[in-house]
Amino acid sequence: MATTLPTWTALGPALLLGITALVLLIVDSIDPDTSNSTLLAGLSTVGSLAAFLFAGWLLVSGTGQPQTGGAITLFDDQLVVDGMSLFFALIVTSVATLVTVASHDYIADQPYQAEYYSLVMMAATGMTLMGSANSLATGFVSLELASLPSYALVTFLKKNRGSVEAGLKYFLIGALSSAVLAYGISLVYAASGHLQFDAVASAVANTEFVGVLGIGVLFVLGGFAFKTASVPFHFWAPEAYEGAPAPISAFLSSASKAAGFVLAFRVFTTAFPELAGLAGGPVTVDWVLAVEVLAVLTMFVGNFAAATQEKVKRMLAYSSVGHAGYVLIGLAALGGAPDKGFVLGASMMHLFIYGFMNTGAFLFIGLTEYWDIGRTFQDFNGLAKQAPLASVAMTVFLFSLAGLPIGGGFFSKFYLLAATAQSGTWILGAALIINSALSLFYYTRVVKAMWIEEPVNDFEIDSYPAGIYTAVIVAAVITFLLLPAFGLLSPSAVTGAAALF
Amino acid sequence: MAAEEIPLVFEFAPAIAVLPALSLVVALFFGEYFPKKGAEAGILATAGSLVLSLIMLATVAGGQTVNHELYTLVLGVSEETFGLHLGILIDPLSALMLTIVSLISFLVHVFSMGYMNDEGETGLPRYYGELGLFTASMLAFVMADNILMAFMFFELVGLASYLLIGFWFRDAGPPSAAKKAFLVTRFGDYFFLVGVVGIFATFFPATSTPGMFAGEHAFPVVAEHALAGEATVNTFGFEPQTWFTILGLLVLGGVIGKSAQFPLHSWLPDAMEGPTPVSALIHAATMVAAGVYLVARMYGFYALSPTALGVIALTGGFTALFAATMGVVKQEIKQVLAYSTISQYGYIMLGLGGGGYVAAVFHLTTHAVFKALLFLGAGSVIIAMHHNENMWDMGGLKEKMPVTYYSFLSGSLALAGIIPFAGFWSKDEVLFETLVHGLGTPTASSTLLLIGYAFGLVAVFFTGFYTFRMVFLTFHGEPRTDTAEDPHGVRWNVKAPLAVLGVLAATVGFINMTPVAELTGAHIEFLHQWLDMAPEEYLTNVHHYTEVLETASHYEAAHISPLAPGAVSLALALGGAGLAYQLYGTAAHPEPHTEKLGSIRTLLMHNYYLDEFQVWLATGVTYRVARAANTFDQGVVDGVVNGVSSVSLFSGSRVRRIQSGVVSNYASLITLSLVLLIAFFGIMGGWF
Repeated sequence: MATTLPTWTALGPALLLGITALVLLIVDSIDPDTSNSTLLAGLSTVGSLAAFLFAGWLLVSGTGQPQTGGAITLFDDQLVVDGMSLFFALIVTSVATLVTVASHDYIADQPYQAEYYSLVMMAATGMTLMGSANSLATGFVSLELASLPSYALVTFLKKNRGSVEAGLKYFLIGALSSAVLAYGISLVYAASGHLQFDAVASAVANTEFVGVLGIGVLFVLGGFAFKTASVPFHFWAPEAYEGAPAPISAFLSSASKAAGFVLAFRVFTTAFPELAGLAGGPVTVDWVLAVEVLAVLTMFVGNFAAATQEKVKRMLAYSSVGHAGYVLIGLAALGGAPDKGFVLGASMMHLFIYGFMNTGAFLFIGLTEYWDIGRTFQDFNGLAKQAPLASVAMTVFLFSLAGLPIGGGFFSKFYLLAATAQSGTWILGAALIINSALSLFYYTRVVKAMWIEEPVNDFEIDSYPAGIYTAVIVAAVITFLLLPAFGLLSPSAVTGAAALF
Repeated sequence: MAAEEIPLVFEFAPAIAVLPALSLVVALFFGEYFPKKGAEAGILATAGSLVLSLIMLATVAGGQTVNHELYTLVLGVSEETFGLHLGILIDPLSALMLTIVSLISFLVHVFSMGYMNDEGETGLPRYYGELGLFTASMLAFVMADNILMAFMFFELVGLASYLLIGFWFRDAGPPSAAKKAFLVTRFGDYFFLVGVVGIFATFFPATSTPGMFAGEHAFPVVAEHALAGEATVNTFGFEPQTWFTILGLLVLGGVIGKSAQFPLHSWLPDAMEGPTPVSALIHAATMVAAGVYLVARMYGFYALSPTALGVIALTGGFTALFAATMGVVKQEIKQVLAYSTISQYGYIMLGLGGGGYVAAVFHLTTHAVFKALLFLGAGSVIIAMHHNENMWDMGGLKEKMPVTYYSFLSGSLALAGIIPFAGFWSKDEVLFETLVHGLGTPTASSTLLLIGYAFGLVAVFFTGFYTFRMVFLTFHGEPRTDTAEDPHGVRWNVKAPLAVLGVLAATVGFINMTPVAELTGAHIEFLHQWLDMAPEEYLTNVHHYTEVLETASHYEAAHISPLAPGAVSLALALGGAGLAYQLYGTAAHPEPHTEKLGSIRTLLMHNYYLDEFQVWLATGVTYRVARAANTFDQGVVDGVVNGVSSVSLFSGSRVRRIQSGVVSNYASLITLSLVLLIAFFGIMGGWF
């Protein structure tokens, strides 16, 4: 670059999202009763798209990466911008863009739309910041910044009992989990005397309070398990995803999950690596084993519960839990892996592709809710005759989620499997294979209903909402394109991950 | 091999196969827009191939050859693994075969305009496209410099013949015949494939190019060294010679299937369901010829194993007689020709097994010419008869279609082996070579050769009989139906190929007149000299093969004059022809004499019930095995799978129950599991 931008611009994606949220609030205060949803959705789409492009440009130009001098730290090392934080900013902003585009039609008839969009933007800001958090304090604050708007968003359909009930449950479990996380942070602070990750890492290396530290580490793990909807902190997820407006389900299950993971990745690989002997020392607190247990449990619970659901949205909610289990492999397989960047990079790639295929699948559910055709598998019968294009897109999402080579999900699962093979954690690999096979069963049920079954009750689709359609088709095209383009992206994920070790 | 200097002319060698492949594309996609529906592309392409082949022939005659790698499929890392490649080998044998194939294919294309276009057939672009594929595959097979490439194009030849036999796929017969041809030849190719893998496994790492046909590093040569103890190859615990016999017989499986030798011959008569020009191509130059050409191509390998040679000779001799007897009773003109093909390829196999490499190639050459002629002649007759093929409905066509008659007669004289037509010289040499090696060889394989010779000699009589029965029934006497009274005329595009081939059938035998050479002492065994011209370093020339036959297989030639055996076989052929004349040639309305054979005729008409036996094999044995496997799959495999899925669903519904919907339950479950986690790790890590 001829001229170097000031370092604070590295936080540009988060700043852009935050500014968009404020602009939306200004619009709301000027005209509180506005229902000009095109303006509001347009503003937030422009904001998130700008953030997306900015993050992409930063990533491509090498900001915060080894080739331009390594990670950029700000505010006395409280925040950091590197390859990984930019990679996750890409995930969050791309999901946010798809969600705001789709929301245009989905909430067109609802009041208080400006609040909806500004809450989405604030949550996105928090999620982006989670990727940049470099101390337990900023991590906790940004996590709460992401969580609090989420609770409100789940309950956004105030006349809908399901939405309100789900929001309340989400909030209660969220409060419990935040308490656990805050308690864990305080225990880690007690044992180390620091909150900044690198400082914690050097302080805990020879701490005498192993017990206090161990409990703290497990509590912190629990807090992140809540955010990523991993067992046993997953109970809120099926209820919240089912009750929330479909775009919000998409947002929470894709972007919020990714944000939870990036924070977990950073905390465990920069603050606690030596506890699990990743740097070669003795194992004091074996969090790798703990994550391994959680990963296997999460995969099995999520997929087995998904297999027996009658409602498609709830099935997707449980499958989202199962996918959290797959992503946990990135931490769980670190133990014996010679190339740790590859293992973590595989998880990052899976989250990236998951951001498109899962968002797309939930937005398709949003489309069916918009048409009001019902929630069960039977209600989807014969849908392909009425809406072939959307059904093709949904088929791509589902098969890619299952790991068939029709979308990028095939390669990311393959990389995860390769990661387990590399580290020799065969139990994770076996769980991945068994659960992928099982997941094919329940994903195929939707495809079968759409394409093969005859419709049970007559329904006529009279309108094709442009916003949701655009979002679904774009997500499908990207999911498909990520199959051939996987090799273009995976190096940035792997190098971004490798920079942490 | 890449380093050698290649004469410029050989740079064009791949074009011989590429041109017909291009015609496939042109005819298939643009054929609709041509006045002749794609025939133009095929004719131009095969004419180009023919010209190029003739240039190759001339270049080889000038002493230049090529054995060179064109395209690497899999790069071999030296010492560790071998590479796979496509390449061309142009030596006297392949140059000769290229010329034959492209000549026949060219004439068949021309003839097709009369047989298909003028008869108003539909789907012609597809027809000409498939002909192009057929020709291209065969030409590439002939040029192949290694056995893997040969196998690949061998399979493509099979595919193209499947498509062409089933050309009229809307009728009942052709699809079933095509399927049969595909399945039966595939059965043989299965063994061929195993043989190819075996050859690669055996000769690596003794040579870095284990699949090559010619040269110092080719597998026949390495095998020869291994027998002499100069090289070590991986023989999987067998004696080298035993193992080479096994490999040779495996590859022979493909040969027997393609060249329609007993017991895999049954597809060929059914393949008559395809258009007649296609039959001409299949029988004369492509499909069936591919099998025996493969044996000739790797003759250096077979020459190492007297057992394999004996099996080849015996199979060939038996097939020659066996098929000839069936040809005696057939009523349809193409059926007679089909059995004659099987029988004639039996002779070629007999020649190869009997140590007569030159004789076999000679018979392959002459047979290609006269069998193409006979099929095209039959095609002409079939056009004239409005697609009625039954000879009993014909008669008296001699006056109506003189060009067809005289060229057909020339082909028939060649097929029957009447001096001086082509078939006499080549068949006689095959029999003579088998006889001298049978008499001269001191080992046990002499018995096999003599038995094969006896079969072949008896078959000469039958050949003479069925050939002239066909000629007399078709062309002589009085017309027996209204159609024969007033046949449909044929145009120049039918007559010209017949005339060309008719002349060739009479004369092509002069290229290797061994008895005359013996009598006069003149050096006129041109084909022998031609095949012996292959460069020393290729080790594919005749004197090398003779040497190998002597050292490895102990084949020795007895010194007897070729005149007496030649006279015997000529007498037998004349006897058969004379009997046919007696029975069918004298009366204006011949009696169906073969019906007097009674139950023997029934047996022959049913082809010795071999089709029934194969159907029984398929339905009685294979189907039962398949059903048992299906039961196993349904019961055991599916049972396990279903069991797994019901277990999954059951446990899924259990897991689901944890989600009670009561938020305080969730909170207590979360707390409880956190406590359990801490207790477990705490105790394990000794925190307390």
